[in-house]
Amino acid sequence: MTTHPTLGEIDRYAAGEPGLDEATVWSIEVHLEGCADCRARLAGGTTAASRTLITEVAAALDREIAAGPTPRARAFFRTPVRQRWFVAVLLPWVVMAAAVLGTAALLTHSLPHLPSIVLLLAPLAPLPGVAAAWSRRTDPAWELIAGTPSAGLTMLLRRTAVVLVLVIPVLAAFGAVGANRANPALMLLPCLAFTAATLLLGSFVGVARAAIGLMVAWAAAVVAPSLATAELPVLLTPAAAGPWALGTVALAALTLLRAGTFRRLTSF
Amino acid sequence: MRTVSTAETAATIHPWAIHAQALRVRAGRHLAVDGLDLSLGTGVHGLLGPNGAGKTTLIRALATVAKPAGGKLTLLGTPVDGRADLRPARRALGYLPQHFGFYPRFTVREFVAYMAWLKEMPKADVPAATQRAIDRVGLAAKADARLKTLSGGMLRRAGIAQAIVNDPQLLLLDEPTVGLDPEQRLDLRELLRDLGTDACVLVSTHLVEDVVAACTDVVLVNEGRLLWQGAPEALGAQGDAGHPGDSPAERGYSALLRRHRAEATR
Amino acid sequence: MAPDSAAPVVLPHVRRSLDAADEQELVRRVARSDRRAFDELYRRTAPWLEVRLRRRCADPDVVADVLQETYLAVWRSAGSFAGGHVKGTAVGWLWTIAAHRLVDAFRRRARQGRMPQVHPADTVAPAAEEVALAGRVGQELETALAALPPEVRAVLRATVLDGFSVRETSVLLGVPENTVKSRVRRARIALREALS
Repeated sequence: MTTHPTLGEIDRYAAGEPGLDEATVWSIEVHLEGCADCRARLAGGTTAASRTLITEVAAALDREIAAGPTPRARAFFRTPVRQRWFVAVLLPWVVMAAAVLGTAALLTHSLPHLPSIVLLLAPLAPLPGVAAAWSRRTDPAWELIAGTPSAGLTMLLRRTAVVLVLVIPVLAAFGAVGANRANPALMLLPCLAFTAATLLLGSFVGVARAAIGLMVAWAAAVVAPSLATAELPVLLTPAAAGPWALGTVALAALTLLRAGTFRRLTSF
Repeated sequence: MRTVSTAETAATIHPWAIHAQALRVRAGRHLAVDGLDLSLGTGVHGLLGPNGAGKTTLIRALATVAKPAGGKLTLLGTPVDGRADLRPARRALGYLPQHFGFYPRFTVREFVAYMAWLKEMPKADVPAATQRAIDRVGLAAKADARLKTLSGGMLRRAGIAQAIVNDPQLLLLDEPTVGLDPEQRLDLRELLRDLGTDACVLVSTHLVEDVVAACTDVVLVNEGRLLWQGAPEALGAQGDAGHPGDSPAERGYSALLRRHRAEATR
Repeated sequence: MAPDSAAPVVLPHVRRSLDAADEQELVRRVARSDRRAFDELYRRTAPWLEVRLRRRCADPDVVADVLQETYLAVWRSAGSFAGGHVKGTAVGWLWTIAAHRLVDAFRRRARQGRMPQVHPADTVAPAAEEVALAGRVGQELETALAALPPEVRAVLRATVLDGFSVRETSVLLGVPENTVKSRVRRARIALREALS
């Protein structure tokens, strides 16, 4: 703290006298911001006009405070869940994914001659959530958010991370149970790869369209033939884990390269 | 006390807050803004035009929400067309669309603070800026009420609060007076004039009297092009008693539209 | 909040606890809607704020408005300061709120065409008994400051001391933004020369 000004200087400052030179005034003001004692001395040295003004404002404050509601004391940035409203919006999608996976688990259990349906559907589990992450329909404030500097790949990744955090445990749970036991890498890697693919494709055609397209393509090209022939598809054999990992990394890298396009990504 | 950075004191050389040249913007498949030239500086500018004139699309393009299909667009000296980085312009921008969605369970304060955070305001400044924005729009009594409990006029004021929370240099409001009662409309006009002292405010409206009362400058668009730009009094001078309208400004407005339509059919 | 002579009876232990609390603690209590803490905070800080505001704006109506709006904002949003997201002291936070309200008041007045007078610049020459100042701000700095023209000093005070942005300073002083910027640059050059 700078040295205390003299009482005389404080009085002259309080009186608003133009006689004090600028440098002194500056020192006093800097000092007063930090020193409660000198502020108290200042209070003693105020002019009558100041004191009247302060009293009048006090009375007006009394009226305004009495007329208004009592402010609620709560931490400003409340629990992240509220702030990340998105989780609440996502819950229906996650529940749907869980229901589908649960049904798939039941089906696999009751139809043991078929390959694990949970494994077949695993890559598609997060996609509905990712589609919902960047959609005008699920995000009511989309028009507002789209014009902010934060709109872009970071926001989308944050929301996608929430989707993955919610969906992957469900997937792991169903995948680890009983007849559905499958190599966890074979469940999770395609999941991540498809998520990255949705984002990458989404930077070209829109995230929701990309998600739907990928879901349809996978269902038609891999799931249906696999169920028809009752054989595990080549893409989901244990040997494929390595290529899936590489694919995920490549897709993620490409998505990051296209980060700039996400700033103005439209949704349908 | 604080330090003043060199960047802050670098002289600004852009003469216009908004500078559009031959701007083309699509709305769906339709080319809603077709070859628009516009230069706007500090002050309150009223954007007038019939329905379907491309006002909303223009404002969306200026808010960097819609990507221009062609032409040049510069906001506050930085280009925002093509592959330019949009973040500097967006930080100094405030936007309120006509149909703005909101999160019903958020309170006014949370909503405005969330938008402030999204606009990349320093986290330490967000609470004070939120309170200031809420006070400026007159929602102090309802700051902790949920958005779904607010009436239409209050909701729109909450929307304006989120638009001004970052003290923007460029403020874009699409039909902000819809749903406001006459007293609220007067308050909004005063707020707009306050904001217009050191920012560029563009207000799109279909109410001519709003424009005349609050705006220093009127921009008339039709069919995606700039029709006329000038002071509200000059707008009044464009028409005479022969044109439909209850006020000089309305008559001037109809006169200009009629003239433009006549020329278009020629 | 009537003057002390007519103050409501405050129990001794409450009085002691209020006296012991510093401004930070008072704001925390205001965040819990403690009216007495608010009154005490007002009593302690309003004189300082009023004097400082009066030196930025000669119009007492504006000062009264700003003072009222500031403390209302304190009452309503003390929770945000107490929440720990705001850097600095409670008094610094108070000044930030007041500074923003001052700019808003100037904008309102500009719109109404009644620009409030800025306080006339302080004199430059130090009085004889002010020689002791040398230890405080630094003799070279003081001379350099004194050598600057008053409008440059006003801009410096607004930006460096009060924390206003360039845009806000242009509203307060009624000069274009580029003028504000060039004056700050001049000051920077002059002060750098003085200190080197």
